Amino acid sequence: MRISSIGYLVKQGTTSVWKNRMMSFASFCILLVSLMLVGFSVLVGINISSIVSGIEDKNEIVVILHDDISQEQTDNLFVQIKELSNVSNVEFYSKEEAWKSIVEDMTEEEKSFMQYAENDNPLPDTYRVKVSDLELMDITTSQLKTFGGVESVQSPTEFASALVSIRNIVALVSSTVVFALVVVCLVIISNTTRASVHARRKEINIMKYVGATNTFIRVPFFIEGMLIGIISAVGALILTRFAYNELYTVLNDQLKLMNIIGTKSLYAFDSIALPVTVCYLAAGTLIGALGTTISTGKYLKV
Amino acid sequence: MVEFKDVSVTYSSGVDALNKINLKINDGDFAFVVGSNGAGKSTLIKLILKEIDATEGTVIANGYNLKKIRRSKISKLRRTIGVVFQDFRLIPTMTVYENIAFVLRVIDAPKKYIKTRVPYVLELVGLSDKMKAYPEQLSGGEQQRVALARALVNDPKLIIADEPTGNIDPELSYDIVELLKCINECGTTILMVTHEHNLVRYFGGRVINLDGGKIVFDEEVGGNNENK
Repeated sequence: MRISSIGYLVKQGTTSVWKNRMMSFASFCILLVSLMLVGFSVLVGINISSIVSGIEDKNEIVVILHDDISQEQTDNLFVQIKELSNVSNVEFYSKEEAWKSIVEDMTEEEKSFMQYAENDNPLPDTYRVKVSDLELMDITTSQLKTFGGVESVQSPTEFASALVSIRNIVALVSSTVVFALVVVCLVIISNTTRASVHARRKEINIMKYVGATNTFIRVPFFIEGMLIGIISAVGALILTRFAYNELYTVLNDQLKLMNIIGTKSLYAFDSIALPVTVCYLAAGTLIGALGTTISTGKYLKV
Repeated sequence: MVEFKDVSVTYSSGVDALNKINLKINDGDFAFVVGSNGAGKSTLIKLILKEIDATEGTVIANGYNLKKIRRSKISKLRRTIGVVFQDFRLIPTMTVYENIAFVLRVIDAPKKYIKTRVPYVLELVGLSDKMKAYPEQLSGGEQQRVALARALVNDPKLIIADEPTGNIDPELSYDIVELLKCINECGTTILMVTHEHNLVRYFGGRVINLDGGKIVFDEEVGGNNENK
């Protein structure tokens, strides 16, 4: 094929967007809404998962050490805990630090009373252990109890299992919603592209009669679909960014809520802009181009 | 050259459209195909264009055996045939120039050739001034002349005209057939399907009469110019 022919086909595809503007506009609207719905659902799902993970990170096991163990035994215990497969982080919290922390939260009167007891600190040394998998917190707790020098282990196992259930439900609900939306959107998009191509079936028919090959007919449709897909993706991206930023601002203003879920649990749009842009453009281009090209197939069998 | 050897077509509905047809149209011939509705005229054209397959027998068109032709070669076969339809079938979103040039683009013709060839055929059909017009801006007769220009622009061996005068004024019908006759004089084979007996009587030539899927008459008849 000559370069001028390729140029001609590209030009045909580009100008067809305007020449068939009513159907182009219908396809654009459907694609825009579909991309926005699916994209926004995915973003909400990601943020909910991140919030649950943020809450999970705040759960730790407190390992209370015997009063009479030596420094060497304390250090050995650190190594033993660190070696457990489910342990992601271990921090030593001395009884002095614990005392300081309690006193800090007291009133001045209470503080003056407590200073007499400082030399007789009743608090124990502890290790604060974070686990990588909340579902295995029970097992990790049992293992910690067996170590020498450990007096007791405090572990929020019930809360952890509740969180695990919440995380699983969130994952299931968000993936089901996204899947359902994807299916519904694909059906609507497929019907729209089919209607768009159906309106031009005579045109395709004429092209076949004058000896055009299937590729020659398909290329302009492919380019046209791709262009509509890109334009829809850009539109959807702008609207998603606006809606997402609005929601992000509203949630960030809820100080109490942010204290619970953690200020870093929500993704700022700019931090995920690149992957979101790539996904929108890729989805828009692919759906637009392939949808139109596949729909033309039916009318090429002449 | 078009040849039908014992060709039968039975549609899936059970209708026998053609029954053991034997027909040969030589290069350079001009033949009218006449017959009432359901006689098999359209089926004959669909077979030549490889739109449908023969149930039995062999069809040869412009050197292609249509029984054995590969799907990928059908477009090449169609490039050797120009078709003029009763309903013109011009692409509404393209100008007159683009509609005609499209046929040349399909065969990957050079840009320079397209730029000289399209105005030339438009001049032949008398529509040089309508190059930039869209089909909807033209009258029926003009649209049919554009369709004719499109059919002959790539110099095909055969032009099939399927009731080309069916949607235009009777006066203009004679002009269209006149044009087809002119094209035929340059060596292009013309197969014109019609049920306008006045035209056939006026121009004369080879007349193939179909009835009930069979050829009931295939002879040369003399023309009578006074009937116009």
